[in-house]
Amino acid sequence: MTGAELVVQILAREGINEVFGYPGGAIMPIYDALYESQVTHYLTRHEQGAGFAAVGYARSSGKLGVCMATSGPGATNLITALADAMMDSVPLLAITGQVPTAAIGSDAFQEVDVLGMSLSCTKHSFMVERSEDLAPILQQAIHLAQSGRPGPVLVDIPKDIQMGEARYQPWLADDDTQLQPCRDQVNKANQLLSECQRPVAYIGGGVQAADAQAQLMQFLYKTNMPAVQTLKALGSVTPDYELNLGMLGMHGGEAANLAVQQCDLLLCIGARFDDRVTGHLTKFAPNAQVIHLDIDAAEVGKRKPAAASLVADLKASLPQLHCFVTEPDWCAHVSALAKQHAWRYDYPGETVYAPALLNKLSQRLSADAVVCCDVGQHQMWVAQHMQFSHPSNHLSSGGAGTMGFGLPAAIGAKIARPNDMVLTVSGDGSIMMNIQELATIRRNNLDVKIVVIDNQRLGMVRQWQQLFFAERYSETNLSDNPDFVALARVFGIDGQCITHQNQVDAALGAMLSSKGPYLLHVCIDDKDNVWPLVPPGAANDQMMTQANSEEKP
Amino acid sequence: MKHSLTLNLANQTVAVERFLRVVRHRGFKLTALELASKEEDFAIKITVDSDKPIYLLTQQLNKLVDVHSVTTAQLQQQAS
Repeated sequence: MTGAELVVQILAREGINEVFGYPGGAIMPIYDALYESQVTHYLTRHEQGAGFAAVGYARSSGKLGVCMATSGPGATNLITALADAMMDSVPLLAITGQVPTAAIGSDAFQEVDVLGMSLSCTKHSFMVERSEDLAPILQQAIHLAQSGRPGPVLVDIPKDIQMGEARYQPWLADDDTQLQPCRDQVNKANQLLSECQRPVAYIGGGVQAADAQAQLMQFLYKTNMPAVQTLKALGSVTPDYELNLGMLGMHGGEAANLAVQQCDLLLCIGARFDDRVTGHLTKFAPNAQVIHLDIDAAEVGKRKPAAASLVADLKASLPQLHCFVTEPDWCAHVSALAKQHAWRYDYPGETVYAPALLNKLSQRLSADAVVCCDVGQHQMWVAQHMQFSHPSNHLSSGGAGTMGFGLPAAIGAKIARPNDMVLTVSGDGSIMMNIQELATIRRNNLDVKIVVIDNQRLGMVRQWQQLFFAERYSETNLSDNPDFVALARVFGIDGQCITHQNQVDAALGAMLSSKGPYLLHVCIDDKDNVWPLVPPGAANDQMMTQANSEEKP
Repeated sequence: MKHSLTLNLANQTVAVERFLRVVRHRGFKLTALELASKEEDFAIKITVDSDKPIYLLTQQLNKLVDVHSVTTAQLQQQAS
């Protein structure tokens, strides 16, 4: 057996049936081994598309995502997806071909030190130097990507190792007994919970990574604790939970941010006090003691000190918290905040109001639909105005904020969950960053619905230029965009364009009932902004809203 | 604040690159470095300087697959 055949055999042994990639010189032996193998390879039209398809596959299914590319530019094109997976703790395996061992360091054709490049954007990375290491390294890589705090792992395989003799040998992981929280810290946490008056649960992506939604909801229903979520956690708290205040942070809801600012205990469950969440850090939840639950000890105290910390798998730590009942007065206060600051969709004028459209779209989707998005204003509108019943149904590039994420992520999601509706919501800026993946959708006849929210601007940057850069609109005008419906049609994808509010219902109906992929191009006013907004350097209760921003002289 | 750290790493050059990258990226200035190859491991002693608490670095280093152990000692209080 060759090394390349061994790679494919190990993927199959590990239950990996679907991979994404793009061939090239230094990975040709592996592509030869894939030919007629039981592992299905999906060809994307750019290696970055393969990386994000693997991320979408992983995030929508909870399984390992696998992508592959050749050496040099193939490998460098994967790097952005690795960085994205690193920031969002996504289990990902990247396999790259490398020039033959003897040529490494000679500046050979398509040679890049991908191992060196991977150091800052992977959980771990390997270069295989000997054939006998190939099997153990691949198995260890697959294990590492999915264990503890998940993340991307890269395996770089020189071409001579792929072509040389290799044999399978099993690799056994160290005993992975579930990490248990320290008893003293559990007692301290329960003491803090029993003493607090105004608790808030601050929920992050760790709940999905730990597959701990059931334990979380059990805790919330027993305690009736108000809950706020990060972008990545949306869906972890089910929409029927009455004290679900939605997203907090820079573009979070007013009720969510105010409740956190007023709380006296913040129960952080698998979150990391990211700067988009906290605003001015020392003014964040200024009266709160923090209990921090995370599997990664390095997150405890990294940004905000914790009075108690439970470093463990959330499935193990959540059930150890006492189920006291939250003070009814505090619950009533939080409910009143939620009512007072509920989203409004009474938009003046006749143009399409994107938040209202997305809210209507959300209401028409079944609970198991997957919504992907890109990065910018539309991403925040999706987070604010659509509802999710599980975090695997909302795929949004969080930590890295990578434009171009949405279309390939939707491809991966559709392949992972072929029976579920998959949509991607994009902007006119983001969609152009991986537009070539329309060819992947067509090639595989993937039923992916695409909504392009088009304000002919790089809208989020334009919004900041308006608010913080004296309306100097540097390089954010995209009024020379292509005709997106015509563009989709060139790729064999049907679609339509709408410009008025009164077209929304029919257009959503046409898209959702269409057979196969569909692109809905939605033209909106270029002056529509995302509200509320916590301006840079401010505390989260100093939100700018549409109303108070218009009061400015 | 200066701290001395003793590390045992997997005996691979990339393990050294990997831990030094973390030291730099997490905001610690490297002021001394000793490295000795000992069979399976690299034995490493470094001195770092930063205003940040040292646990912010040791917790990140402990996450690295190639790092087998990290121990620290505070060396001196820097004159302010």
